[in-house]
Amino acid sequence: MKLPHLIGLLASAFLSMSAHAETAIVLNSVDENISFVDTKTYKETGKAPACKEPHHLMATPDDSSVIVACAISNELVFFDPKTGKEQKRIKNISDPYQLGFSPDNKWFVANSLRLDRVDLYKAADFSLVARVPAAKTPSHMAFDKASQFVFITLQDSNEILAIDLKTQQPLWKLPVGPTPAGIHMTPDDKYLLVGIMGADYVEVIDWRARKTVKKIVTAKAAHNFLARGDGRHVFVSNRTVNGSISLVDMQTLTEVEKYDVPGGPDDMEIRADGKELWATARFGRKVQVIDLEQKKVSRSIPVGRSPHGVSFINHAARQ
Amino acid sequence: MMQLLTDYFVALQGWLFDTLVQPLLFAFGLASYVEMGFDGVEFVLLGSIELAIAYALMRPLEALWPAEQWKQRQAVRVDVLYTLLNRLGLVPLTVFALLAPIFMELESWLRFNNIIPRQLEDWLPGLDYHPLVSFLIYLVILDFAEYWRHRLSHTFGWWWALHGIHHSQRQMSFWTDSRNHLVDDLIAGLWFACLSLFIGVPPGHFIGLLIALRLVENLSHTNTRLTFGGIGDYLLVGPRYHRWHHALELPADPRFRYGCNFAILFPVWDILFDTLYLKEYLPPTGIHEGSAEEVAARDNFWAQQKLGLVLLWKALSSRKKQSPSG
Repeated sequence: MKLPHLIGLLASAFLSMSAHAETAIVLNSVDENISFVDTKTYKETGKAPACKEPHHLMATPDDSSVIVACAISNELVFFDPKTGKEQKRIKNISDPYQLGFSPDNKWFVANSLRLDRVDLYKAADFSLVARVPAAKTPSHMAFDKASQFVFITLQDSNEILAIDLKTQQPLWKLPVGPTPAGIHMTPDDKYLLVGIMGADYVEVIDWRARKTVKKIVTAKAAHNFLARGDGRHVFVSNRTVNGSISLVDMQTLTEVEKYDVPGGPDDMEIRADGKELWATARFGRKVQVIDLEQKKVSRSIPVGRSPHGVSFINHAARQ
Repeated sequence: MMQLLTDYFVALQGWLFDTLVQPLLFAFGLASYVEMGFDGVEFVLLGSIELAIAYALMRPLEALWPAEQWKQRQAVRVDVLYTLLNRLGLVPLTVFALLAPIFMELESWLRFNNIIPRQLEDWLPGLDYHPLVSFLIYLVILDFAEYWRHRLSHTFGWWWALHGIHHSQRQMSFWTDSRNHLVDDLIAGLWFACLSLFIGVPPGHFIGLLIALRLVENLSHTNTRLTFGGIGDYLLVGPRYHRWHHALELPADPRFRYGCNFAILFPVWDILFDTLYLKEYLPPTGIHEGSAEEVAARDNFWAQQKLGLVLLWKALSSRKKQSPSG
């Protein structure tokens, strides 16, 4: 077992003992609020206002905050993942849609899907370093292990954009399948997996050679990724009304399992013990809980409109 | 109970989206617009529910306590068509498709020049934490902006050339609310988009704000004797109040040469800006058209669309202001 895996597992084990680690935070994009869900009773316990048109949330690398990206109100809102209380707001973060921290924690990247731009900030103080034009419709992002590059899916021009973080300049673009959405780096740092939302597959890209090496058929509207935490598998949400979630083996580059998940599964989170996968059902106003031993949806938790992100502190490692 | 209704609504929305909208989006390579398409289905469904509520509440008022008795309701048909085009999303979708790219470009340009327009919450940070207060404040602001948009559409001759279509109905009913020239709808969309850009109307409030405006507007156009009473008529725009706005004969006072009672929701704007006129009796509605062609267009959708453009062209060519009363 590699050191980062061990650290991740130890951290998860420690956090799972926390008395306050039982609340999931769910972002409701259209309702512009967040729901708190008790992960033991599977009930929504409350709601809190977020901001104008929030899209996506992510935990900070140290899990001390959950950040909500507020596209219309141009800000980031930080919530305490244990208590759900708002910690702070950072204003003048222009039109953030999808967020990411580079693995070395030096860079904070915000994609502006609406306004065709990628903003690079210093992660230490969220000060803007560069604005990179990124037509059209920059959606999701992934980083290489060395934090040299950030790779962005361009939804409406069907491309991957690579940005050099040292120079903050666009480096290259690579055509991919129709409407690329989620993007994920394999643990060996070799391949980028791209969810091809306009079709039914995950495109595997050898990013150093800049070529597609394989297409893994999953299901219609392959959308987003979440690592299972075992360093080998990744979940892929296939976001249609009668959707599903595929499990892809990143070593063999094959689909190994699939679960029916109705309601447009989108963003996901996995429990530290690896037994449950939570997915926001964008078209169902629900969070679907998938029992990974039974391999089926075991709970449907009503939340707000267009749930677009779920996070809990008691999660598995991120790879 | 509420959760059960929500579940039914979401199931219907999902089914419509999956059956009608999503296949088209995928077929035309527009998978990027899936979320927008799904929200669009909700928009149409809520519009339909709002219309059903309006029909259930206001049609009985027209039947039981009419302001005017009509032998035939044929003239209402064209207003029904306008309403369906509006509520089924065709008009809003077209307006959005035309305006969204322009405003995206504008916003994008502003951001690249490090200009982030200030929003209402920058001055009133507390609004972030009080959604209901925020909704009410945006409702008041929106209504204020609508008052001026409406008033200006009566003031400028070129704009009146379009807006006159709305006033040409002599059998005004709750359906008349949506009777607008399509270019007039486009200008209204432009007005709203500018407002959004400068104060940042929360998208989450949008449907609620729209439904509130539409319900009151449906009611205010209703052919009924219903009033909100001596005080109530000065608090919320109702059928009697708005009927005076549509009166065939405008009050003689020069203050009202472009019309009166421009408010959409709250009469306070007419009170503040001295454009309020209210009498007990209920006047006939309509305008005095200037030509046989205009009279012929009263009940015909395409004739109205053509007429609006012709009158707009004439107004812009001659730069001569036309009187709202024709």
